[in-house]
Amino acid sequence: MNILEVRNLNMSYKTIDGMVEAVKNVSFSVKEGESFGIVGESGCGKTSVAMSLLQLQADNGEITSGEIIFDGKDIVGLNESELREIRWSGISIVFQGAMNSWNPVVKIGEQIREAIREHYPNKTKDENSKKIIELFDIVGLDQSIMDRFPHELSGGMKQRAVIALALSCDPKLIIADEPTTALDVVIQDQILNEIRKVQQVLGLSLIYISHDIAVIAEMTDNMAVMYAGRIVELGPTKDIFSNPKHAYTKSLLESTPSVVGDKVKLKSLEGEPPSLINKESGCSFAPRCPYREDTCNPSLDMKLVEVGIDHYVDICSAGKSQ
Amino acid sequence: MLKYVFKRTYQLIIVFFLFLVSSYVLFDSIPGNAFQNLLLNPQLPPEAYEQVIKLYGLDKPLSERVVLYIQNFFRGDFGYSYKYYPKTPIELIAERLPRTLMLFAMVNIIAFYTGFLIGKILAWRRGSKSETWITVTSVFSYTVFYPWFALMMLWLFGYRLGWLPIGKFLYPEKWYDAPFDSDVVFMSMIKFVAIASFIQVLAYVFTRNIESLSLRRNIRSVAFLILLIGSYLFWNSGNQNILRPYAMDIAYHMILPIFTVTVVAFAGTALLTRTTMMEVMKDDFILTARAKGLSQKRIRDRHAARNALLPVVTSFIFTIVTIIDGSVLTETIFSWPGMGQLILDSVLQEDIPVAMATFSFIGVFALIAHFIADISYAYLDPRIRIQNQG
Amino acid sequence: MKDQKDISKQIRREALKKNWTLFKQSKLGMIGLYIVIFFFFLSILQPILFATGLWNKGVYDPVVGYSEQFQEFLVVECPTEYPTEKYDSITDCPGRNEINVRTLFYSDAEVGDTIIQNLQPAPPSSKHILGTDSLGRDIFSQIMEGSQVAFILGLLSATLGVGISTLLGTIAAFFGGKVDAYLMRQSDLILMLPTLPLLFIISAFAELQVWHLAVVLGTIGGLGGSVITIKSQALQVKVKPFVDSARITGGSQMNILFSHVLPNVAPLALLFMVFSVTGAIASESVLSFLGLLNIDMSWGLMIYLAQVEGFIFSGMKFWWLILPAGLSVTFLTGGFYLVGRGLDEVFNPRLRNR
Repeated sequence: MNILEVRNLNMSYKTIDGMVEAVKNVSFSVKEGESFGIVGESGCGKTSVAMSLLQLQADNGEITSGEIIFDGKDIVGLNESELREIRWSGISIVFQGAMNSWNPVVKIGEQIREAIREHYPNKTKDENSKKIIELFDIVGLDQSIMDRFPHELSGGMKQRAVIALALSCDPKLIIADEPTTALDVVIQDQILNEIRKVQQVLGLSLIYISHDIAVIAEMTDNMAVMYAGRIVELGPTKDIFSNPKHAYTKSLLESTPSVVGDKVKLKSLEGEPPSLINKESGCSFAPRCPYREDTCNPSLDMKLVEVGIDHYVDICSAGKSQ
Repeated sequence: MLKYVFKRTYQLIIVFFLFLVSSYVLFDSIPGNAFQNLLLNPQLPPEAYEQVIKLYGLDKPLSERVVLYIQNFFRGDFGYSYKYYPKTPIELIAERLPRTLMLFAMVNIIAFYTGFLIGKILAWRRGSKSETWITVTSVFSYTVFYPWFALMMLWLFGYRLGWLPIGKFLYPEKWYDAPFDSDVVFMSMIKFVAIASFIQVLAYVFTRNIESLSLRRNIRSVAFLILLIGSYLFWNSGNQNILRPYAMDIAYHMILPIFTVTVVAFAGTALLTRTTMMEVMKDDFILTARAKGLSQKRIRDRHAARNALLPVVTSFIFTIVTIIDGSVLTETIFSWPGMGQLILDSVLQEDIPVAMATFSFIGVFALIAHFIADISYAYLDPRIRIQNQG
Repeated sequence: MKDQKDISKQIRREALKKNWTLFKQSKLGMIGLYIVIFFFFLSILQPILFATGLWNKGVYDPVVGYSEQFQEFLVVECPTEYPTEKYDSITDCPGRNEINVRTLFYSDAEVGDTIIQNLQPAPPSSKHILGTDSLGRDIFSQIMEGSQVAFILGLLSATLGVGISTLLGTIAAFFGGKVDAYLMRQSDLILMLPTLPLLFIISAFAELQVWHLAVVLGTIGGLGGSVITIKSQALQVKVKPFVDSARITGGSQMNILFSHVLPNVAPLALLFMVFSVTGAIASESVLSFLGLLNIDMSWGLMIYLAQVEGFIFSGMKFWWLILPAGLSVTFLTGGFYLVGRGLDEVFNPRLRNR
């Protein structure tokens, strides 16, 4: 059962310099209990996708076309109050830089309570307190944290608290947007374990967004690789790692250092990601593609083509999968 | 830490000392003195002038007088008013202060509350058409030429429409048979307002811990209602019953000045709140609040506004310091006999003891206000609170 | 070396262009700018009109001009009791183009006649857009003169004040210790003094003219609370890494002060300057209004005259004596304030709309 289906999503930002197409024709689906990863470099649109799912994009952003079907219902056209019901109790999110997610003048416990109160207004104070203590147990926090202010907590504690906050209304899907980027590796490992444990225990679906391909490999069942607003490769994590088909995916894997094995010189790509302003259709990766051949025509239309079991590659009609 | 407090206090005393000296010298340098009129009176021999000068010690050189004044000041002796002899400056201040306080306490509370509300809403509606012209209107409210505006108000409501009295704070005719002074009435009015506000604040604080929002709101409304009923009963009982018509008279005279000053004062707070809110709105935790599915109103009030409160409250406290400074114009135009008028008169008539006393009063007031500002800042921002405790 | 200077000039030019674009985006800032430009235009219009001879100085000079305004008036007799069927209250009689027969001393006119009188203040006409005051002086010319006064006074005192506080603030931040403590206490002292009474005192023992007032306002403003704010801003700059690297590479104290700290403090100083102008114009108007300034003509003075001559309570009958001056003060100070808000948006990215 697909808890989430995204079909041909397009999202753009209006700026002084023009329309920035941050999300182009993105389609993917997430099953119940599945862990789905989105990987790509900074600015490729992964956060924009996450924001679109909750319709939290900035004021100058709008979804120009596409469907987001959550739990069987398309949430793109919903009005504000309907969206508010879904937020947090249907889909919740752990933000990038979650340290700043906390209101500095309100106690942690109160901020979690607030979310619960919004979606379950009839629960008593005691019930809520018990729930919060349970959540803290899951993420490994002491219950005294409830009465503390955000600045009294360390980075790792704040992160765990954010996860507890995300779980507070029993969502079906959690989006984790680079939740460990600002933390040191030790804490990062702990947090990742927490998330995995939580997911297994509670049977949640998870969308994990990161630029760190190693973490994606560890955490996810299926994944998507994004570049310049498009999904360039989509499929089961194992398949993509063992048999990458898109040139960008290959380059990504080749640029990650490995702890085991021979020391290999890392390859990196020349050039920069393209500007997303008023982009025409066509292969946006062509300028940097190391496998580019003379027959490659960058202006041809792109679409996803199946190359393996559930394994898709974004390719132009003239392209060959290498 | 203690050493720092010590150093600061010691610096403070020096500053205050300099303040006294410079004020005295400043007043004294105004040409002429308070008793010049005696020279003009043809019925008085010139020796009378000499005698009066000697009596008040004004024949002594400046340096001697300054030293004497400082000495007396720290002994608590502020001299006698030159113009209102034998009243002492303290008596005069005690008489005038409640009148000014009454007026400006009301104004500041109303202006702060309305200003914060409007500023909050303005920032939230950023970019909409109404936001622009409401903000521009607020700016012009803020910069309106105050004496002109006050005169216009006076003309419109007092003269043209005749709804409100033109200046002064009571109708002398009504008070001919009054069994007591206006001061007594004022004191009871101030006490009443102080207690009422205190109870309201208490009610607010005690209901903070109630979980359900609707229940909290209901209890607060009920508390407010009880307050209203209580006030009504209070003013209709026993002693207050006799006071009431006089209090009403004063209240009636207060309406126009309060309204006029509030129009100008609220704009400052509104604009400051708007700017602060706009900064806070860009913070990450606002995004989190939206993701949690909270209503716009709740995000605006509970998260954004709460963080914007800090600088606004600080500025509010500093506004209190400038009450007396600001009251000079208002009291002159509305003929409201308060502290502002006292300062103006004492300066222009060279009633040095009174002038010195009022200036010192303002100085001390300013220092206390700074102190209160520091404390309330620590209370409102838990980050600073923890720093001070731990 | 020459290339470096050219490059830095170019960088500055581009930065200026970028700031201007940002400023244009601020609706508030642009509205304010239009208002300020309007009044600036008014202040230079007057000397132009005189110089080109379009305006006869004898008639239109705001201080010593005189204009004869002959108007037709209907002679009426004002009743002793009100209200009557023609007049509601005592201020309605005589009406706009009427004259009370009892006030005619040198004429044989009777009730019902139309006579021609030279009555000042005269209402707006084609010759005088805003009418004349009680001394026959053109109001519009006075407004323009007041605009000149406002600009000169405002900019002078603001520049002086900001210059002083920036200098003192940066010195306090950089040299610390006793210098800092002294400057802070000095600011405290100034803050403790109530401004308005202080101005009264000063005006009492020195006959103040515009220039004097500008200097006084500038000094008081400059030595007051703004020093503290600029100092904290300068402190923030001081702890930035680039200041240390400047020191290491051999920059002298003065050099660091001027080429690094000042540019960073400049936005704040600019903001202060704009808001100081509003304060200065308001203070001048208040002092003129109370009759404490020795000044030929200003907006505050116009209202002072109107009040002293008793025209305030005539309400709308002599509106041109009261309204233009009051509105001018309001709008010009408001305009500068809006410009300040616009600058705020330029310097503080969080306040921008997009």
